[in-house]
Amino acid sequence: MLGRRGTLRFLVTPPVAWLALFFIVPLALIAAFSLRAGSGAVGPDEPWLASVDQYAELAGTPAFLRLLGLSVLVAIGVAALATLLAYPIAYFLAFRAGRRASLYLTLLLVPFAVSYLLRVMAWKLMLGPEGGVNSLLSFLGLTDEPIQLLLYSRPAVIITLVYVWIPFAALPIYAAMQRIDRHQLEAAADLGAGPWSRFWRVTVPLSLPGALVTFFMVFIPTVGEYVTPALVGGTDGIMYGNIIQGFFTRSANWPLGSAMAMTMLVLTLAVVLVGLRVVNLRRVLS
Amino acid sequence: MRLPYPARFLTVLLIIGFVLAACATQSGDGSPGESTAESAAETSAPVPTAAAEEPNELLVLEWGGYEAEDFWTDFKSGHPDTDVTFEFGDTDANILAQMQGGSQADIFHFYTGWQQFYVDEGLVQEIDTSKLTNWDKVPVEYQELGQIDGKQYFVPWDWGFTSILYNTEQVDEVTSWDALFNEDYAGHISMWNDGPGAVAVSSYINGWDETALTDDQLAQIEQDWIDQKPLNAFYWSGEYTDLCPAVQDGTIWVAYAWQGCYATALAAGDPVAYANPEEGRNSWVGLYGISADSDSPELALEFLDQKLAETSCANAVTLFYYGCANGDVMSSIDDPVLIEAFGLDDPSILESTNFTPLVTEEQREAWTAMWERVQAN
Repeated sequence: MLGRRGTLRFLVTPPVAWLALFFIVPLALIAAFSLRAGSGAVGPDEPWLASVDQYAELAGTPAFLRLLGLSVLVAIGVAALATLLAYPIAYFLAFRAGRRASLYLTLLLVPFAVSYLLRVMAWKLMLGPEGGVNSLLSFLGLTDEPIQLLLYSRPAVIITLVYVWIPFAALPIYAAMQRIDRHQLEAAADLGAGPWSRFWRVTVPLSLPGALVTFFMVFIPTVGEYVTPALVGGTDGIMYGNIIQGFFTRSANWPLGSAMAMTMLVLTLAVVLVGLRVVNLRRVLS
Repeated sequence: MRLPYPARFLTVLLIIGFVLAACATQSGDGSPGESTAESAAETSAPVPTAAAEEPNELLVLEWGGYEAEDFWTDFKSGHPDTDVTFEFGDTDANILAQMQGGSQADIFHFYTGWQQFYVDEGLVQEIDTSKLTNWDKVPVEYQELGQIDGKQYFVPWDWGFTSILYNTEQVDEVTSWDALFNEDYAGHISMWNDGPGAVAVSSYINGWDETALTDDQLAQIEQDWIDQKPLNAFYWSGEYTDLCPAVQDGTIWVAYAWQGCYATALAAGDPVAYANPEEGRNSWVGLYGISADSDSPELALEFLDQKLAETSCANAVTLFYYGCANGDVMSSIDDPVLIEAFGLDDPSILESTNFTPLVTEEQREAWTAMWERVQAN
């Protein structure tokens, strides 16, 4: 018979082992590679020489650092837009959909039945010279010729990423709104608060933790995004993740790619920590 | 002090991770001094076993698209029970990295310029061409491309040109590689996403020997491509997935391209032309090697022999517009589109063609790193 500690270990060990094996160990591998001198891949003839050469190389290349900063800004923008656009959806589901909330929630998740790549490729068609957006602009008489820059640009990357993230983004906000005690809204109404006042002074503060979770849930993976920029970004929309991918594939330089990945990880965590400190999540939650 | 359970657990895993990383660097247990062509040949001579005694399976490290059965139909016909599977790379650097990383592939496919690395690192075994029934159909010039220090390590297979593909309705006749830098076509240019390719183009334009570039020249090349970057709509990676659709829908007017895309667009009736730049086209040849660690070297040899057979080679030419190393197949081409694409009607074309040279590891690293910096700017 397992004791309380034994039961806890029994329950916790499998998921922790899974995460550790497929997250911590690969992360340790990347950290170890980033400390390799030289620039070969996993060549058998290179001895192990712990070194910070790769970090020095990265620090000495302003273009990489500039692109990292730009990617962080893009990620902040995408996360903010996705959160803002997802908020009304979550609000509708939590407060207005009534008995059909489950149906609408299912519909919200329908895009996930389609491959991520296909959804991004769909935007490539939509934004292309003969795509839906250009056709609409032409039909409305707003343009004489297709706007070429809709596709293969940084705005195209942002539009596509926001679209991809919105269904995901709505879920944590919806969950937070579901937990709001309706009696608080009734109490506010009894005390004379109008609809807007109840929304701003009750609903928004109580759903803010969900919105913050959403923001960081979108921000963190977007910093290292490389698939969407590769498909719709063109040369203008290249992000830091594309360069990391390049060092792992085109350049076969895993050590420098690893150093870039570790730097991005640290910076991302720093931004999240600073963000949480500024927002003071504990106060919000209390 | 005794660490709590979770901390002990994570510490053990972290140690495992670092040990694995360290082992990955030493798994070949060879010292740099041993990594010569001679030692590679000594340690990797073909195992003298008949194909029938080997595992009846092959793993091929290929480029996406080449797994199509049309490309190896002769082998399939002769070995219907052999289990042929494929894993993929998308650049020469990626293919090399996978082989360096211990790929289990029996056969790998890469392109000219990268031969020396496989031999130096003992990744490839020497080929006994006397066992290749189709070897005499391969022109000597192609055979020699697969030789290092007089030994045959590689079997040439596909080949083609690189030049400027352009839209004849939007662009005046292109006579130089510098069309890629022409600001009149801003937003409608597409360069291949590859550092060595960019270095080759700049070397042609400037009249430099790409194998003997100075640091100043490489810095100039980097700056030129940084300046050129805004002119591109995108850098392409897949010929048929990225480039061709954009050429055919009119997004791209000027592109660094292989002849396959040109032939595809031409056959579709699109207004395209394939330049004969005054600096000369580039030409490349695809090579197959048999892994030094292959468990089925004889079967792999049969696979390569049958790749050179008539039907497989003809399919490469007629279905995918790639040249093939079987000279009989190439000399029998009578399709005007293919004749135009391969320049078969121009007897002097090869004299003005720049063949991709062998590069050193230092050059490869410098050029690929340069290209990543260009992209980041």
